[in-house]
Amino acid sequence: MSVLAIASIAVQRRFGRQRIRKLLLGSIPFVVLISLWHANTVFEWMEPVFIPPIGDVWDAIFLLQEDCPGVGAAIALDNNCLMSTHVLSSFGRVILASVIGLPLGIAFGILAGMNRIASKFLEPVGIFANSISGIAWIPLAIVWFGVGWVTTLFIMLNTIFWLMFFNSMMGVRGVARVYEQSVLTMGGSRWDVIWHVYLPGAMPSIISGMRMSMGFGWRALIAAEMIGGDSGLGFMIFTSAQEFKIEEVFLGVIIISLIFMSTDKYLLVPLEKWTIQRWGLVWKPN
Amino acid sequence: MQQKSKTPSLAWRLNKLLQINAMNLVILIVGVYFIWSITSSLIANPARYLPSPIAVALSSVDMLYKGLLPSYFSDTLVRLVVGSSIGLAAGIPFGLLLGINRTVADTFQPMMNFFQSVSGIAIFPIVVIWWGNSDTTVLVVILYTSFFPIAYTVLSGVREVPIRYIHAAKTLGASRYQIMKDVLLPGSMPHIATGSRLSIGFAWRAVIAGEMLAGREGLGWMIFTGQDADKTTEVILGMILIGVTWIVLDHFLLRPLEADTIERWGLVQR
Repeated sequence: MSVLAIASIAVQRRFGRQRIRKLLLGSIPFVVLISLWHANTVFEWMEPVFIPPIGDVWDAIFLLQEDCPGVGAAIALDNNCLMSTHVLSSFGRVILASVIGLPLGIAFGILAGMNRIASKFLEPVGIFANSISGIAWIPLAIVWFGVGWVTTLFIMLNTIFWLMFFNSMMGVRGVARVYEQSVLTMGGSRWDVIWHVYLPGAMPSIISGMRMSMGFGWRALIAAEMIGGDSGLGFMIFTSAQEFKIEEVFLGVIIISLIFMSTDKYLLVPLEKWTIQRWGLVWKPN
Repeated sequence: MQQKSKTPSLAWRLNKLLQINAMNLVILIVGVYFIWSITSSLIANPARYLPSPIAVALSSVDMLYKGLLPSYFSDTLVRLVVGSSIGLAAGIPFGLLLGINRTVADTFQPMMNFFQSVSGIAIFPIVVIWWGNSDTTVLVVILYTSFFPIAYTVLSGVREVPIRYIHAAKTLGASRYQIMKDVLLPGSMPHIATGSRLSIGFAWRAVIAGEMLAGREGLGWMIFTGQDADKTTEVILGMILIGVTWIVLDHFLLRPLEADTIERWGLVQR
């Protein structure tokens, strides 16, 4: 056996045959796409105004960050550190909106799931609010709060809240009454029922709602930043497009996608799997 | 002899009243109406921040009279129908193809993951540079947003068809085409229905956003220019229309369609 064959067997043993196969196959479209992109730069089928050279997109990161005085200024969202400021302010809004929106949505959802009268009034409102997608709120939000932080935060909060509300309500309704009744029989209070029955029982649904609301919220946030924002990745790509700086637009789009993909893959999906494993109710009484 | 009290308690009567669904909705609408009008009469500049419901209703009459509302409305709906049907027509075969062949699926899935996380709205600036502020731009954005959800759900639908059925068909001498037509397509029908509803939902959001950003006439454009021109009545009217249209579309067309498909083609495994 040649050295090559031995090496390839060793690699396959180490990383797993299927995984290598998936990795290789999955990289083909990316390689093709990037080579086409590069070929376009070389042969100029489309003008650089429409499709920028790859090098320009890479350089745009440093161009945007050029005037940055230092790390401290970057964290303080200095206006000279454009790149880091846009990324961090988008991140900040996502975190702030989830810190406020998720608990609120869960609390109202559990209330609506528990209480028939509350759900009768909250549910139609929720259906209506969900149908007016986050984006349609943007003009009204601009009228109310002006262009800036508050508007974008409001749009994201609005999107997150109603999705969370629905998912936790459905989760609570899916919990079997037997559990609630047994806790009450054993002398548990209302609070015990919420804390030990509804919340864990609805957990899988809540977590998948979280994943969904991050997906929708992130999209709504980008749109809100484009129309009603003064910073953030959405704002960056929109203003760059207006100035025909296409390399910055491409850069922004790639960063948006990478951020979303990595948070979904490394944070939300594992969390979802873990919750279903930990709290998912397999046994259902009839 | 013990006399039971004939008059039921107030809470009981209230509860009974609430059990009628239509009654509920009426109470809710009246409640929202009152809260809305009281709020708008209390704030400083109602015409700008929150016009009263009557003002919104009047503006709708005005816009109906001018013929603007029907034209915006039909523009938006036509865009939704055209965009999402092209998206579905492209996405369903693609999903089927990915579902049939594991090699093709492994090849394209990472790329699809990447492009799905670039939302349709995020690619909007690029599309605008390529096609300008035109109907093509809005259409491309709708297509892009509706393509990926349907392709994904069809893929998972094809994968969930039990391999036994495929084997059975093969044993009986079915060709590749026949397996696809008689086993895979009907087997993934419920997923196709669910995915279509999802896709159309995404497309609806994309239509509104696309119209706002590209400045093509329609409901999204109406609320966007309403904000620019300081006509908050139009903004609120547009929002209500957007919400009601989607509810009607979803609850009376798409959900029944989905339920019927699942009832007809859903596989109940034993």
